[in-house]
Amino acid sequence: MDTSNPAPLVNAELLKRYPGRRVRCVLKLVRAEGNSAFSGLTSDGMHVSVKQVPSATSLSQYVEVIGVVDSDRSIRAEMCTNFGDNFDMSSFNQLVQMANSEHQSLFI
Amino acid sequence: MGISRRVYPLVTLNPYQGNWTIKVRVTDKGPLRTFRNARGEGNLFNVELTDEDGTQIQATMFKDAAEKFYPKLELGKVYYISKGSLRVANKQYSTVKNDYEMTLNVNSEVEEALDEKKKIPEFCYNVVKIDGLGPHVNGRELIDVIGVVQSVSGILSIRRKLSNEEVPKREIVIADESKKTVTVTLWGDLATNQGEKLSSVVDESPVVLIKKVRVSDFQGVSLSSNPASIMQINPDIPEAHKLRAWFSEEGKDAHMVSAGASLPGGGVRTGSRSIFADRKFLSDVILPTVGDGKPEYFNVKGYVSYIKPDQAMYYLACQSCNKKVTEDSVSSKFWCEACQKTYEECSRRYIMTVKFSDFRGEAWISAFNEQAEALLGMSADKLSELRSQDVESKVYSRELEKVTWVPYVLRISVLQTEYMNEKRQRITIRSLSSVNWEHESKYLLEQIASMKKEA
Repeated sequence: MDTSNPAPLVNAELLKRYPGRRVRCVLKLVRAEGNSAFSGLTSDGMHVSVKQVPSATSLSQYVEVIGVVDSDRSIRAEMCTNFGDNFDMSSFNQLVQMANSEHQSLFI
Repeated sequence: MGISRRVYPLVTLNPYQGNWTIKVRVTDKGPLRTFRNARGEGNLFNVELTDEDGTQIQATMFKDAAEKFYPKLELGKVYYISKGSLRVANKQYSTVKNDYEMTLNVNSEVEEALDEKKKIPEFCYNVVKIDGLGPHVNGRELIDVIGVVQSVSGILSIRRKLSNEEVPKREIVIADESKKTVTVTLWGDLATNQGEKLSSVVDESPVVLIKKVRVSDFQGVSLSSNPASIMQINPDIPEAHKLRAWFSEEGKDAHMVSAGASLPGGGVRTGSRSIFADRKFLSDVILPTVGDGKPEYFNVKGYVSYIKPDQAMYYLACQSCNKKVTEDSVSSKFWCEACQKTYEECSRRYIMTVKFSDFRGEAWISAFNEQAEALLGMSADKLSELRSQDVESKVYSRELEKVTWVPYVLRISVLQTEYMNEKRQRITIRSLSSVNWEHESKYLLEQIASMKKEA
């Protein structure tokens, strides 16, 4: 298992902490833009756009994006995984907060 | 009248300084009650007094004083009061935050203040927002809430088990800007009179302020009234105006969520216990002290780790009464002792033990027909068919393996029994359900939060 470049779990607020770095984020699909991009809502309620998505038309309601942070509000995707249509964003948001603060040592 | 007009703030009053006058509003007035003690009997009533600074104190009047002042002290009016006595508050009987409580006797002076009524706030309140109710759950303090009324139930009558009297109750749901809702149960007078009033204006989405409610953990979080509670419909206070403005702009179309849903015990809307109430780890449940004397019930989440393939698995059961039947090897018929009849056929019903594990421990747990059928995904009759057809036991053991490592939440009973002079623990599955990961995550988050608090 390649652990050389771990992707921290982020929401919109934490996105700006990792510019140019690879991150992992679950987004709620708002609108697909063509077949290679979409905009989504993060677990803390902000809009983020995702580019270079392989097959944006077959995405489920909730998608996990692993990619590189382009700007405060956009990610360049490397991989997208469908997380289905039922996902608890509030619990996920709490997880993201814990994974980046007091329990960071468990994740990175 | 001779009242010294120097008004003292309520907070400066103490039992050793008698020469004071206070200017207070009666913010609560209790009913005239009768008491009887070793010294005799009489009437009493108490009031809550609030002054300009918002300090509150409870004042009680007995016998003659009660007769004298009951008609005089009106709820909501402002009075100059002097020549009362103070003593340390008996917290058992008071709902007001003050170290002292006041008693007025026949010589106390009470004069209505007809001037500057506006200086003293109409009533004191310290509201907790609906999404901030979590930390107050099961707390000892009574709190105040304010919200827009979403619904008002009809009057229900509950019979109190102890006194066998009928108590009316009504449930209302309120919401605030946090977009969370909470149910408030109104009891007694509040349910009948004020509840009725609320019911008639519910379509106008009135704002209601309820003071002194208790916070319980029923369905996550629930509020309930008590004799000290006060309800004000559309009070003229800034919070109410803010709420009304919010509601007409976005609140009325907003999607609301119950505040209890994100709290332990609230996610599952079962009528009875929530699945997290008796949640334990297997390591706690297998202790020899558990279930000693009478059965104890718990809730565990884990996995079936092993099913012994060469146990009986099922017994031959009477199709009428489900009890055990004995097979007559000669006639191939089945005799039921309980029914006193012979049957051509019998059914098979599960009786098996499985090994159940969680990350802390493991235990052997018995499963009867309904639960075992749910676990194995097939009836005992079908399983026995597989077992007998399958000479090399491959299909049979594969079916048993399929059951393992599937997450379940079990409700179990634990009982210490004696078997051949040896104390053994018998654990039985009462019911099982698959894991709801959303609820489990929320439960885990709450556990983490409470561990943080302890640390």
